[in-house]
Amino acid sequence: MKCPSNAWEEADLLAFSENKLEAPQAARLSEHLQSCPVCRTVVEQQRAVWKALDSWEAPAITADFDRRLYGAMEHATGRWNGWLEPLRLLLARQGLPIAAATCLIVVAGVVSLRPSDSTIAPSAAAARVENLQPEQVEHALDDVQMLGDFTRAARSETGEL
Amino acid sequence: MTDRVHKDMGALAATLDYDAELMIRVKGGDEVSFGLLLDKHRSSVIHFLYRMVQDQAVAEELAQEAFLRVYRSRSTYEPTAKFTTWLFRIATHLALNALRDSKNQRTEARLDADSGEEPARQVSDVRPSVEQAMVREARLQEIREAVARLPEKQRAAVLMHKYEEMEYAQIAKVLNCSESAVKSLLFRAYETLRARLAHMA
Repeated sequence: MKCPSNAWEEADLLAFSENKLEAPQAARLSEHLQSCPVCRTVVEQQRAVWKALDSWEAPAITADFDRRLYGAMEHATGRWNGWLEPLRLLLARQGLPIAAATCLIVVAGVVSLRPSDSTIAPSAAAARVENLQPEQVEHALDDVQMLGDFTRAARSETGEL
Repeated sequence: MTDRVHKDMGALAATLDYDAELMIRVKGGDEVSFGLLLDKHRSSVIHFLYRMVQDQAVAEELAQEAFLRVYRSRSTYEPTAKFTTWLFRIATHLALNALRDSKNQRTEARLDADSGEEPARQVSDVRPSVEQAMVREARLQEIREAVARLPEKQRAAVLMHKYEEMEYAQIAKVLNCSESAVKSLLFRAYETLRARLAHMA
């Protein structure tokens, strides 16, 4: 139902029916109600609604509500969380510096534990040696022999000069 | 710097409300402040939830969960809104979920159970006090049913407006909608309630 004159909003009628409208406004609305059966009906019916709702009381709260709540809180946080509580608070307050420090430690750990190149090289060489064929070894020895001969020849030529 | 941030947050909380200030203390590890918040809001949260789900045991379970969530969220709490807005947003969320989970089942079971008490009215030689009690119970049943039949969001809005005396703006924040949407919800809800309950005048 809308006020035919659109003079008052429903929010005003609700507030008036609950005696929560400012006094000057309430006086003007009272005057309006004398001549507007639509608004008057809304206010009367709304007062009945307030009265009905007022009579609806919620039951009493059980006596052990707090005990159950604190029990649930303790259960939820748990023993481990209890021990970790100071750390959690610390993280909440200074999370960024701690996170940065943790990252640094992890990176330092990774770098220090990573095997160096020098340790990798021999194992690679060993792998290659294992795959060498006898012919290759012979060729290599021949090369060494040839290099030795070449060196000796070069020295003798130098000595002659 | 952290101290300054805490001081700033404390000042902000103080301007918002005392509850937010208490919650800042809870965030800092003060369990006593949580107890104070519980003392202050226990009844209103449980009563709100009771009128939403109309089952006291379920209401208390949901209230436990609501306060538990407040406690669990303490480390991330920021006093950006009134504490009660946050608290009732949690409570409303839980109530709406519970209602959706047990859609109709609980209401129907309860209404059936309550209607099972009606044969008592057929007793012929009842004393006036018993008769009055029965009339009163029938009226209350009618009120409960009228509220229970409201759509869930309308119901939540009415309960916060009527029993918690929240402003439209705060209800809007709790329900995460605009103030005009809240007004619309409330006006439709009260129009329905007037149609259902006006005869009780």
